[in-house]
This record gives sequence, structure tokens and C-alpha cells, in this order.
Amino acid sequence: MAASPIADLSYRNYDGVLLPPRNRWWVIAKMTIMQALRKKSLWVFTALSGWYYLAMIFVLFFMEQSAASTPPGAPNPLNAYLSRISWKDQFLHGFGYGQLLFMLIALIIGAGAIANDNRANALLVYLSKPCDKRDYLFGKWFGVFLPLLIVSAVPSLVFYFYGAMSFREHGFLSDDPWLVVKLATMLPLGAAFHASIIIGFSSLFQQGRIAGATYAGLYFLTNFFTKLMTVAWMGMTGTSRHPGQGPEGAIALIGKLYYGSIDGVNIAMAKSVLGTDGSVPFGFPSPFQEVPAPSLFFSLSIIVGLSALAMYVAWVRIRPVEVVG
Amino acid sequence: MSVASIQNLVVRYGAFVALNDFSVEVPEGCTGLLGPNGAGKTTFLKTILGFVRPASGRGSVLGYDIATQGREIRQRIGLMPEQDCHIPGMTAVQFVTYAGELAGMPSDQAMRRAHEVLEYCGLGEARYRNVETYSTGMKQRVKLAQAIVHGPKLLLLDEPTNGLDPKGRAEMLDLIRSVSHGKGLNVLVSSHLLPDIERVADQVIVVMKGQLRTQGLISDLKRIEGHPMDVELIEKCPEFISAAQRMGAAVEDLGHATYRVKTERTPEETGRLVFQAAREAHIQVRGLALAERSLEDAFLDVLGVTAPHYHPTGGFQL
Repeated sequence: MAASPIADLSYRNYDGVLLPPRNRWWVIAKMTIMQALRKKSLWVFTALSGWYYLAMIFVLFFMEQSAASTPPGAPNPLNAYLSRISWKDQFLHGFGYGQLLFMLIALIIGAGAIANDNRANALLVYLSKPCDKRDYLFGKWFGVFLPLLIVSAVPSLVFYFYGAMSFREHGFLSDDPWLVVKLATMLPLGAAFHASIIIGFSSLFQQGRIAGATYAGLYFLTNFFTKLMTVAWMGMTGTSRHPGQGPEGAIALIGKLYYGSIDGVNIAMAKSVLGTDGSVPFGFPSPFQEVPAPSLFFSLSIIVGLSALAMYVAWVRIRPVEVVG
Repeated sequence: MSVASIQNLVVRYGAFVALNDFSVEVPEGCTGLLGPNGAGKTTFLKTILGFVRPASGRGSVLGYDIATQGREIRQRIGLMPEQDCHIPGMTAVQFVTYAGELAGMPSDQAMRRAHEVLEYCGLGEARYRNVETYSTGMKQRVKLAQAIVHGPKLLLLDEPTNGLDPKGRAEMLDLIRSVSHGKGLNVLVSSHLLPDIERVADQVIVVMKGQLRTQGLISDLKRIEGHPMDVELIEKCPEFISAAQRMGAAVEDLGHATYRVKTERTPEETGRLVFQAAREAHIQVRGLALAERSLEDAFLDVLGVTAPHYHPTGGFQL
């Protein structure tokens, strides 16, 4: 005992500050984030998640450079390129291509958030402190939501500021003056959706890995379905098709089924919020017509409804005691 | 003064009534909550903590209402649950610091205090290891550390020696006795193991079938009606028995030259009678003490059950 770094080993009561017993959700969220930050894979996927924006910045940068070296009077390649792209579609692509990585980040942070607590009976520790179910659930949810929001928002905002500074005269700000507000709606909704779904799955299991595998399974299975719908859509709406020709009812149905996946729900929401049907990435020309955006009400209802359902499942699953009889 | 006051509490799990018109005053100090498995001990603790909502009845803990001030109560209470519980992926220091922060401690103070209580609980350098790698005994110590990190006024210990080997059990009981005596910390220990309760608690609350059977000091529970005295002589002596009986005492041979002497008089007068009888019988008295029952006998008497139902280490099987 004498060798102990703490000299006085007798029990002393704590008479320091105790903060009022409110807002414990933030302590829980902070710890969820701190635990996630220790995982290297999180950093890898975070770095990869903004790849579309990064690629777009490179493309635009080199276009600017080549435009600067174009002789006076010659056709400006930058103007020709910019006439083909829609600025807000770039945010749709950045968001869409980030979905797989957002899902993986959600898995890393959230799959074990409640499942591992279930396994270790940790709920007894939380709820014996001045926290309640709301603190616990909201804290866990926020601990997944906030990193996801940061991961999705930072590249978007970097691209936004790059565009605002460099392409103002090319309509970056004037094409859609509400773009920043739309981004401020789209990005939190996407992060909230992933956070809610993974928290809901996590609450159903006692092992984070199983919760993660289930969510990933659902993600890839539904995405496969969306890919099938994409192929069907492309087959039906190719360049050879004339307006009014072909099975219009089937095309409309496929247009809806296309959004029947985890990615699809997010992309439908993003298209609706941004007010675009989308276009081909990097401004490439396309022989196909884009799948139209569903109505804003429909896509918001779906994303909010599924998120609420997942949170309800988690709410029901979180119990401080096993009730018998 | 009581630390918890409960009146007419009824707790139901569906059709099963776990606590039935349960009223109790939990006194200051270290109190044992005794009862067979399924008596309602854990339900009582969970109701205090606000984990289960009572169907009726009311109560207060440390002056806070159990129905409306659960957070205030839990901030001033420490719970060491019966089940193995920890937060995965953390070292003991991180776990206990986190428990302190959840209770409302600023993070720097929670960290300092976590080191203190983990040292106190005997985890030493092992506190830097992941809790998932701990033995059962170490996990019990961490559970105690997270319960006391924020300096609670009332500590609830639910079967604190569950799963421990005899050495670990003795160490845990020493720890509990140490925190519960002279440290300003009130402790309520729930157990069905009488030797554990006898070792750490000064008073007991006995629960059976969701109702309070009795409560009081352990010494009062063990006391035998009429203040008989146990006398140990140097050797067996029939003359002593005859002499004591002539003086109006009833004498019972307990074996090994020990006799239980009962009179209608006060303990002091009975003592004088014993020495007078010994003088007449020319026998040396080696020991004289007020006779008392074992806690086990007292407990069985309170519950109205017979001895074969109880096993000293396994508790009750009713």
C-alpha cells in the first residue's frame, strides 16, 4: 500500500460540485463520440466520404487553369463545361456517393451503441444515475448523428465556399439563392435517418456486430433492388423512346420503386429538398432521362416516418428492469 | 432519522404482486435487507430508484419524493446491482469517471475521484485494464467503485457477494463494512445470506412475500426472552446444576461444560446467582455471557420457517 501513488487510501466522501441532474444526454453523446473516435476505420471512411466533392474541385480547378491559358478569341472550355453542369446537382451527387460511406460510419459508431450495452447490462449503470430513458436514447442517437452530420457537412460546405468564391459570376449563388438553406435541411435529415435506423437495429441485438451485419445486409439487399430498378428504368427510357411511347404506367412505378432502399430514401429526400431530378455526375452527357424526384411531402414523410419507427423500436427495447409475469 | 420512508407501497408485475402494502422506515447507518429469493428485496430497491412505478403507495428517499423526484434521488444514491454490469470497451478508470460524470461531477473531478475510489476498492494498477478482462471479484469492486464515485448519501448494494469465492467475499464484506461505518455513508445491503448481513450491518429489515416481517437492531433480534445467561465452567459439574436449581433457576446443559441459566430476575441478579451456585459447587467459572440466538435462528423464527429451508451460503429455498 505504501508504494501506491495515492498516499491516502481511506474512503473520503466527495463534497465537490454536482451539476444539476439535467441534460445527461450530452454526457452520453460525448462518450459515444469519444469511443468512436478511437476507431481508425472511422477516420479512413471519413476521409473517403467527400471524394466526389474533392474530385469535382480538382476538375473545376484544372478547367479554370486551362481556361486561363486559352488564347483570346478561342472557345473557353470552362464556359462550355459549366453550361452542362447544375450546381445543386453536384451536392446531390456528393450526398449520393457518400451514402455507402455514411452507412459504414453509422455502423462503426452506432451498431454497438446500444447492443453492447444490452450485452453488458450497462443500462443499469446509466439508469441508476440521474439519467432516464430519454437521456439515454437521445444521447446515443446524438452521438451517432453529430459525427455523421459533420462528416457529410464539412465536404459539402468546403465545396460550397469554393464555388461561392470562384464561380459566383457563373451562377453558383444566383442559380439557387436558397441552396445553403436546402443543404442545411438535407444534410441533417440524411444524418438523422442513418442515426435513427442504426440505433433502432442496435437496440434489437446483444452484439454490435450482429446489429451492424443486419443493417448492412438490409442496406445492400435494398440497394441491389434499386440497381435492378435502375437497369429497368434505363431500358425503358433510352434515347430511342419517344414521348408518350412505351409503358407509361410501368415507368412511373419503376420511378417510385427506384427509391425503395436505404440509399433511395435518402436520395429521394435530397432530390426533393434540393428541387432537382438530378443529372449525370461530373457533367457528362447522358442518353437516359433521370428518375424524377418524388414530392417533397412524400419523401419527407418516408424519411421521418422510418426514423420515428426505428426510434420507437429502440424506445420499447430499452428497459431498466426485466418485467416478469 | 430515516434515510428512506415508504408507506403502503404496492408494486405489480402484471398479475404478480411483488410488494404488497409495504411500509418501512430505513434508518441511518448500515442496514441489511433480508429475505428469501423472490421476497421483493430487489423490487424494493428498484422502486426507490424509480425503475418500476408503484401501483399505489408513496415514499421518500433522503427527503425526495420517489414518484416525482427520481433524478434528485438517483443523484444522491449509489447502486451496486446484483447482475454483472459495466460499459463495454472501457478501462476501469474510464468507466468510473464516466459514472461520475453521469452523476453530475465535472469531468476533471470525476477523473481524480475515479482514481481515488478505484485505489480504495483495491484495484491498484489493474484500473488501467479493460473491465471486460476482469475476474468476477474485480468486476464486483468496479461496480462498488462506480456506485460510490460521486459520494452518494445512500448506497444500495444488491447481493454484493454474488459469485465471489470465500476470500473475495471476505474482502468485499470488509470493504462494505469500511465504507458504511464512520464515513457518513448510509448503506442498504440486500442479501439472502445471513452471515454477510451479520458481518456488515447493524440493523435489518426482513421482507417476505412482498411484505415487511420485522425490522430492528440485529442485537435485539438475537436477544432471547427473559435474559438467560450462558455459563462456561472449567468442567462438567452436576453439583452446579443442583445448586442453581435450588436457588430457583432453570438450567439447560448445552454441552462442553456450558450451561444456560434462566431466571425470572434481572441479568445482574442472574449473574450473582451463577457465582453463588458455583461457590457452593466448588467449581471455577470460565465464562459468563448474556445468551443470544444466532441470527439464523432469529430469522427463521421471524419468517416462521424451519431450518432445513436455509443453507448458510446458499440462502433460502422456499
